[in-house]
Amino acid sequence: MGQANVGKSAFFNRLTGAKVAESNYPGTTVDFTKGHMLFQGEYVDLIDVPGTFSLQPKDKAEEVAVKMLGEEKEALVICIIDASKVERGLYLALEIIEKGYPVIIALNMWDMAKSVNVKVDTEKLEQILGVPVVPTVATRGEGFKELVSRMGQAAPVTIEEIIRSVGNSSRTHH
Amino acid sequence: MWEIAVELTIDQRWDLVDRIAKETIEVGAYEPTLRDTLADVTVKPLTGIPFAIAVIYGFWMFFSGFAGFFTDGFFVKIFDVHFLPWIQSVFPGKGTWLYFIFVGDPSAETCFESFGVLTSGLFLPIGVVLPAIVAFYLVFAFLEDVGYLPRLAVLVDGVLHKIGLHGYAIIPTILSLGCNVPGVTACRPLESRKQRFMMITLLGVFIPCAAQIGMMEGLIPHLIGWVFLTLAIGYFAVGFILNKVWPGESPEILMDVPPYQKPTWRNIGRKMGTRTSHFLMEAVPFFLLGCLIVAVMYLTGAMDWLGNALAPALTGVFGVPEETVAPLVAGFLRKDLAIGLLGGIELTTWQMFTSVVLLCIYFPCLATFALMLKEEKWKEFLATMLVLVVTVFVFGGLLNLIGIGLGIA
Repeated sequence: MGQANVGKSAFFNRLTGAKVAESNYPGTTVDFTKGHMLFQGEYVDLIDVPGTFSLQPKDKAEEVAVKMLGEEKEALVICIIDASKVERGLYLALEIIEKGYPVIIALNMWDMAKSVNVKVDTEKLEQILGVPVVPTVATRGEGFKELVSRMGQAAPVTIEEIIRSVGNSSRTHH
Repeated sequence: MWEIAVELTIDQRWDLVDRIAKETIEVGAYEPTLRDTLADVTVKPLTGIPFAIAVIYGFWMFFSGFAGFFTDGFFVKIFDVHFLPWIQSVFPGKGTWLYFIFVGDPSAETCFESFGVLTSGLFLPIGVVLPAIVAFYLVFAFLEDVGYLPRLAVLVDGVLHKIGLHGYAIIPTILSLGCNVPGVTACRPLESRKQRFMMITLLGVFIPCAAQIGMMEGLIPHLIGWVFLTLAIGYFAVGFILNKVWPGESPEILMDVPPYQKPTWRNIGRKMGTRTSHFLMEAVPFFLLGCLIVAVMYLTGAMDWLGNALAPALTGVFGVPEETVAPLVAGFLRKDLAIGLLGGIELTTWQMFTSVVLLCIYFPCLATFALMLKEEKWKEFLATMLVLVVTVFVFGGLLNLIGIGLGIA
């Protein structure tokens, strides 16, 4: 899951070999698509959904995404975040974490973030959130090996733990 | 839907996001690059509008050049010079109904005129429409990939506001120029029901797809600009009226303008492949079926009967001969086929122009029609159909009057 135009469909095509339409503007995907990917030696379902800003849907396309998350209670969620606009994506990721889903975060368009000089400390982010964080470039397939190999580490975390660890790391800072 | 232990309020969550961001993100100094300059130039009206005109002109030149090169330079020769005389002579039973259905008119000199399942039914989709589809999606996929379309949306925002729509509406509109089906589904990100209804109606009635445009380019290249102008006037006029009379809100849409990116050829190639194979698998059978139905209706006399029945409307209101009933029937299946079939009917230039405009608006193709049923509520769907019927009569009648007034009907 992720916001509009962060590369969800590009991820989906990479991971499943499907041919879902990808383009460089928001709103390309308006319905969900199911595909299969190889994960830890067996085929599992992967679902591509439309982009959404939050879990409070604003239009028909966002409704599809939120409804799908509600139906797939056993799902592992790949949260895709635009690496140069982390704050926005983090909001949605936190919402999903709060619902108790195991999450792995992909910081996509990592190359673009680098070119506009935005640096994200992935190790620290991982430490605070307690979920795997992987930089990726979906259109070129960079970071996908790591992403797939670390999907197994995705586990549910509670929001209290996150609040606690962000508190700790600020204290060590000052 | 969910069972949760603790949930934050919206403010608390944003607060947490801020704290996490402060710990992990460092935004460095940043020098604007060529990419940013280009992004700026193409979105500011003063430079952006000429740029947009250049892009659209380039798009059109490539489209018509590419399609023309393959259709006129290649397929017309293969089909008309080699294939048509060959099948006319080898197909057994000249004069029988079987020959009429599959080969059509034995004296036809072009595959536009023959009307047979194996002649027009193969030539029109493969010889005329296929090159148009390939040309359209080649350029379109490229524009999608680099990220130009949202800039176009920003530029036309002001104009579209006048009819209660927003710049974003340009994306479903351009998508519809490829095929109305993805255009109509692309209306889902519109927030209010009113906007979705208006958009779906305008797309279904006024926007011809690449297949239709390709067919026009093959049949009436000199009139195509007038057809576009007429349809554009309709798009804005009907949009303006609907915005006034249909209840509901038109909230603002906030849309991200993504940075330009280098085109990924793999993605463009994949899109082209999907579109082309989709066309070959799904459209060609409809062409064959359409030709079959038209031939059978001629043979059984049903077409003449229908032509007579509709003659008051066709000749009386629209000023076109009753033979145009055959394209009208075929148009329920494929609009491009319908326009192609006009090639076999004797029409004055003005009648041809009127017929093409009417074929564009009188019915969305079967696939779009079915999708509208799914996407709209009943009331909205009926309203869309009402708009469609009224538009056909107003446009058809007006064009006929103008033709008579100018003395060219």
